[in-house]
Formats: sequence, C-alpha cells, structure tokens
Amino acid sequence: MTTARLARAGRALLPRVLAIALLTGAWQLLVVIGVQSPGGVPLPGPGDALGAMASLTRQGLLLPSLLNTITRAATGYALALVIGTIIGAAVARVPLLRSAVGSLLAGLQTLPSVVWVPIAALFLVAGGHDENAMYFVVVMGAFPSIAMGVMSSYDNIPALTFRLARSLGAKGPQLYRHFIFSALLPGYVAGMKQAWAFSWRSLMAAELIIGSLAGAGLGTLLDNGRALLDLPEMFAAVLTILIVGIAVDDVIFSPVERALLRRRGLLAA
Amino acid sequence: MNLALRARPRLLVAEEADEVAVRLAGVTKVYGKGRGSVTALDDVSLDVGKGEFVCILGASGCGKSTLLSLIAGLDRATAGWIDTPVAHPAVMFQEPGLLPWLTVRRNVELPLRLRHSADSERRVVVNRLLAMVKLIDFADSRPHELSGGMRQRAALARALAQDSQLLLMDEPFAALDAITRDSLHDDLTRIWGDCGNTIIFVTHNVREAVRLADRVVLMTSRPGRVGRIWDVDIPRPRTLDSAEVAALATEITAKLRLEVSSDNR
Repeated sequence: MTTARLARAGRALLPRVLAIALLTGAWQLLVVIGVQSPGGVPLPGPGDALGAMASLTRQGLLLPSLLNTITRAATGYALALVIGTIIGAAVARVPLLRSAVGSLLAGLQTLPSVVWVPIAALFLVAGGHDENAMYFVVVMGAFPSIAMGVMSSYDNIPALTFRLARSLGAKGPQLYRHFIFSALLPGYVAGMKQAWAFSWRSLMAAELIIGSLAGAGLGTLLDNGRALLDLPEMFAAVLTILIVGIAVDDVIFSPVERALLRRRGLLAA
Repeated sequence: MNLALRARPRLLVAEEADEVAVRLAGVTKVYGKGRGSVTALDDVSLDVGKGEFVCILGASGCGKSTLLSLIAGLDRATAGWIDTPVAHPAVMFQEPGLLPWLTVRRNVELPLRLRHSADSERRVVVNRLLAMVKLIDFADSRPHELSGGMRQRAALARALAQDSQLLLMDEPFAALDAITRDSLHDDLTRIWGDCGNTIIFVTHNVREAVRLADRVVLMTSRPGRVGRIWDVDIPRPRTLDSAEVAALATEITAKLRLEVSSDNR
C-alpha cells in the first residue's frame, strides 16, 4: 500500500525532476561555452547560484529578505482578496455596476501592474509610506483576478441551480449558504490562484524599483546584486523568487483546486 | 414559503379543497409584448384531483413545461388563476439538478435542512427515501459517480423529501435510455401508490403517459390549449408493451399526429 503510493508519487514527480535536470543542464552548457555580459562578466552557473544562496544565508541576508518579502506579499494579497471579493460580488449582483465597470475590470487585469510602480513611488513613497506603495502595487495587480473570478463563476452558475433553489423555497441567506457560495468556490479558487501569481510578480517589480527603507526584500537583493555586479547573488535572488512562487502554488492553491474539482467530478481521479 | 404568502384568490370552496389538488382557470401566458409576442398558453382550464396521476402530453413547444412552471410558482401567468391548496409543490426537472458538491445523502436531505428539521428526523427520513429509490448503497457517492437513471432517482428522492402532497415532473425521464426509463416507471408507480400524493407529469412520450397516468391531457400547440382528455382505466401494474397500453397509445398518437400536422401547415 505504502510502496504503491510511493511509486505513484515517484511517477508523478519524475517528469518534473527530469525537466529541472534538463534546464539546469542547458544553463550549465551556456556557462561552459563561455557566455558573458558585454562588460565581460561571465555568466554564473547553477553551482555558483546555489553557492551564492548558501553564502547569503550565512551572512544573514537571504532569510530576513525572504521573510520581509513574504510578509509583504501576504499582506498585499490579503488586501487584494478582501477588495477583489467585495468588488466582484457587487459587480456580479448589480447590473448597473456590471455595465459600468465590468469591462474595465477585464482591462485592468491585462494592465501590467508594474505601470503603477512609478505612480505609487511618486505619491506614496514621498510621504515616507513606502510599504503602502508596495501594497498598492500588489493590490492593483491582484484584485482584478479575484473580482473576475467571483464575477465569472457567478455567471457560470447554471440557471437550473437557481430554479431548483426557488422551487425548494430557498432565498436570502439560505440561497447563498446552500447554493451560491458552493457553486462559486472552484472559480473563486482559480481566481485566487491567478491573483497569487499576479501579486507575486507585482511585488517583485515594486521591490526592484522602489526598494525599501523599511526592510530589504528579495527584489532589493536582486537590485543590490546588479549594483555590485555580483551575478551569482542576482541569480540566487531569481532562484529564490522562482522557488517561493512555485512552492506557494504547489502547496496551497493547486491541491485545494484539484481536491475541489475532483470532488465534483470535473477532474479525472 | 414565498408562495404561501403570495395571496391567491381561492377558487376552491372548502369542500372542494378536500378533493382538488390543482385548479387551473383560464390560464394564459404570453411572452413578450406587442407584435413580437408569443402566446404560449391560451385559456387553459383543468382540475386535478387529490391523489391523481395526470400526464400532460404534447409536442415540443406546446407550452406544457410553461404550464408546469406556472403551477410550481416559478413563473407568473399573464391571465387566469391557479389554485393549489398545497402551498409549495415539489418539482422535478428534466435534468436531475443535483448539487455536484454534495453527496447523494446531502442532496436528498437538502429540503429538510432548508426547513431546519432536527438531525435525528432528517436521518430517518432520508434513509427511508433512499431505500425507496434504491440508492441506500450510494448515499455517500457524489452525483458524478452515478448513472443517469440513479441521478434521476436521487432527484426524485429529493423532491419527495419536500414532503409536498403535489409533485410536478417536467419530462424527468426524457434523457434516459428505454430500459432505465421503464424501471423508473415501475419505481414511480410504486412510490405514488405508497405516498398517495398527486402527480402532474409532463411528457412528449405517448406510451409513457399511458403507462403512468390516471388521465392523459393532450395539449395542442401554438397556442397551447387543452385538446382532449383520456381517462386511462387500464389496471395496474401496467407494462409498456401490453396490448391495452399499446392500443390507447395508438389512438392518442393518431390524435397527436393530426395536431402536429395541422400545426405545421
């Protein structure tokens, strides 16, 4: 039983391990053929990047930055979740709001949130509120996905579900509790998942450009590496950013989404 | 609850209310306004007795589903009166409409949850209903794990869980294969016999109507009106291929064919 499960987990993991090995190999190949920057700085290899990660950790630079960034991302994401949910629900339920801002929301979703960074830098950092500037950028990047998730999954509730609810005499709180909330859930989680991706990349843009007086983050680490021409440090930062992004998706969103879909028979077991 | 509160003029006098489950008087439904309007139902009047099994038969587009929605209170008539002493009829749709996030048991107990019945009562009632529709072994399955026939059985159990004396069925077996449909006909006949409720069953399948009903109401198309009514005196249990069922079905089909051809002219 346990061995069978291990074997299955191994089979699922194998393609990913292979893909990582392949990419690492390609990267190493670029190093071997001597790729370098126009200024003559050689491209660091995977080993150099891992070494830089280790030494940054030893110097006590990596973990505090990581913690700062994750705290920021979580706070900004939570704000986006609240704002996006309220806006999405309002737009889904109020026809006037929908015709007014429905398409705007879709447009906002395609707008790269990095465009808010200079504006936030000017308006919010000048007052000494650089954390707020980052939250602003994260929220602007992430909330449209949440709102769109609520709106589109509300639209996708089958008409039969509402007819059924009416014929069973459910209305008001009962209608929401027993029918609408559960029907919304998969679309909402999909929106949350996408919003996480957007908030993570928005935060990196904000940290890179605004930096932070309050506390260095991963983006600051990357920017420092650039300033010092320390390429291994830059790659160490990029790797860390990539790993966190994937880990959050893998550990939180994907399992929840898969479990939801499987339970409803929308995913092959 | 909504329906109970909505004031309906009482068409039925007290002694009639003991006999009649549904009274339709001059029910008319028009969709749209002005020149583009479509009259789906025109002056439909019909009494359905308590405990009666009535099949409403008609070609597609004759307004039979509209009629059922009106009786269910899911839609409002343009003119005429509908009186149902039963405040809240149970409805079964063509699609099972089971909630995919709930198990079969939770789907069936939904009407009981909505009216806040006690846990112990709920368990007893749901077990009885699941046994009645032969789904007790599938209580913890999810809807997507069931066959089409089992899903409709679960939907039937859910409708029965509403504990309404009036059950409205809108072509509930139309999407099923013939064998599954036949076994559901048996189940439905048995359950109706046990519960003694009133059933209004909409279908376009003549044999199905004859196999199930006490009375078959043929509706004409465009606009929908009551065409002819047959009393079905064939003793139960009936089978789909018995000579009596076939004979009456042939008679009704001939009438229905006339109806459809005059409609297409």
